[in-house]
Amino acid sequence: MEKGLNQYVKYALVLLLSVGLILFTQELKVLKYPNSTPITGMTIAGLASLWLFSMIGIGISNLLSKSKISFIRNFPILGWVSITSLIMCLLFDFFVTAIQAVDFLSITTPILTFAGISVADRLVDLRKTSWKVAIVAVFVFVGTYVGSALLAQFGLMIAGK
Amino acid sequence: MKGNFILLLVYAVLVITAAEWIGFQTISIGSISITLLPLVFAILITMFLAIKVFRVGFMKKIYSKENVGFASKYLIFIMLPLMARYGADVAPQIKDILQVGWVFIIQELGNLGTVLIGLPIAVWIGLRREAIGATLGIGREGELAYISEKYTLESKEGRGILSLYIIGTLFGALFFSIFAPILLDMGLRPEALAMAAGVGSSSMMTGASSTLVARLPEMESTILSYAAASQLLTSFLGTFTMIFLAVPLQQFMYKLLVRGDR
Repeated sequence: MEKGLNQYVKYALVLLLSVGLILFTQELKVLKYPNSTPITGMTIAGLASLWLFSMIGIGISNLLSKSKISFIRNFPILGWVSITSLIMCLLFDFFVTAIQAVDFLSITTPILTFAGISVADRLVDLRKTSWKVAIVAVFVFVGTYVGSALLAQFGLMIAGK
Repeated sequence: MKGNFILLLVYAVLVITAAEWIGFQTISIGSISITLLPLVFAILITMFLAIKVFRVGFMKKIYSKENVGFASKYLIFIMLPLMARYGADVAPQIKDILQVGWVFIIQELGNLGTVLIGLPIAVWIGLRREAIGATLGIGREGELAYISEKYTLESKEGRGILSLYIIGTLFGALFFSIFAPILLDMGLRPEALAMAAGVGSSSMMTGASSTLVARLPEMESTILSYAAASQLLTSFLGTFTMIFLAVPLQQFMYKLLVRGDR
């Protein structure tokens, strides 16, 4: 990650773009499905909280990027943001109420839009992959998901949940 | 370049509008129904329009090197609010989650399914050293780092994992968003499917958990909290599971499977 205050301004703006698009998507959802999560003052507070926790997570990750323990140094920003948010939400119920006023699926559409654009130049790489690995990939994904789901199902059964 | 960037933002807004306008679509094949969410349309539209033939005129400006570079460099930051949202889902359910904490840990072992199911298939269809890279895990950054350190990315093992990485990046979220509800229709519990969704890739987890939420809106908080907690656990334990379990298991099975070669 790059250094300096400028970089933080950039992150702040990118995050602002992200939460702005979430709000836009939620508005579209309300227009199309009037029963979906409405936009209230709480939604705005929720988006502000999401923005704030993301910034804190970036800050923690930056501070610890010089840590001597490689496990901590390499722990993903995504993880720090989740942990920050989890702790804040455990401490203050307000954050839970506010963040849950943000429609979950409205968060996902903008992200996948950028995910699609980000892989645009890698589509040509598909030619470099063999069809054999593509077949294997299906079984690899099925394997990890079914494996975990069956163990979870079994565990929950024993736990009597 | 500034102008191109504004075009990118306008394009993103238009794609989101189109995807949301298509909305939720359900396709039924026999007793299995496939739910397609707006997020699926968003990724399909952006990828489809990225094909070289369409890149003329202003589309060429939208998919300029800088814009695609911006999207891939800052994608992780655009995702951060989603990660923050998961904290709010886990917090109210934390007691529930800790109560069945051991189940969360046990299901991490399910990630060995990549080796157990993937490796025999890979060897069977004729892959050899590529199979090592292609079946160690779902081919995310952790495994990529391990393989490149041990074998380098130019090796056959490296090519195996790079291929898996590309396929996963392009189709992972899509695949899981279709596959998770199929398992639901086959009788698996939503709690178990939510836990399993924490596979270690955020977009794949989002794909799996989002369609589950769309199918069972009344269980939204349980599904999201289980998926998020499991994902967090995978980011803690994933490396250890890989090094201490997946790698030895893979070596053992690989020797067994290719024994007949010579």
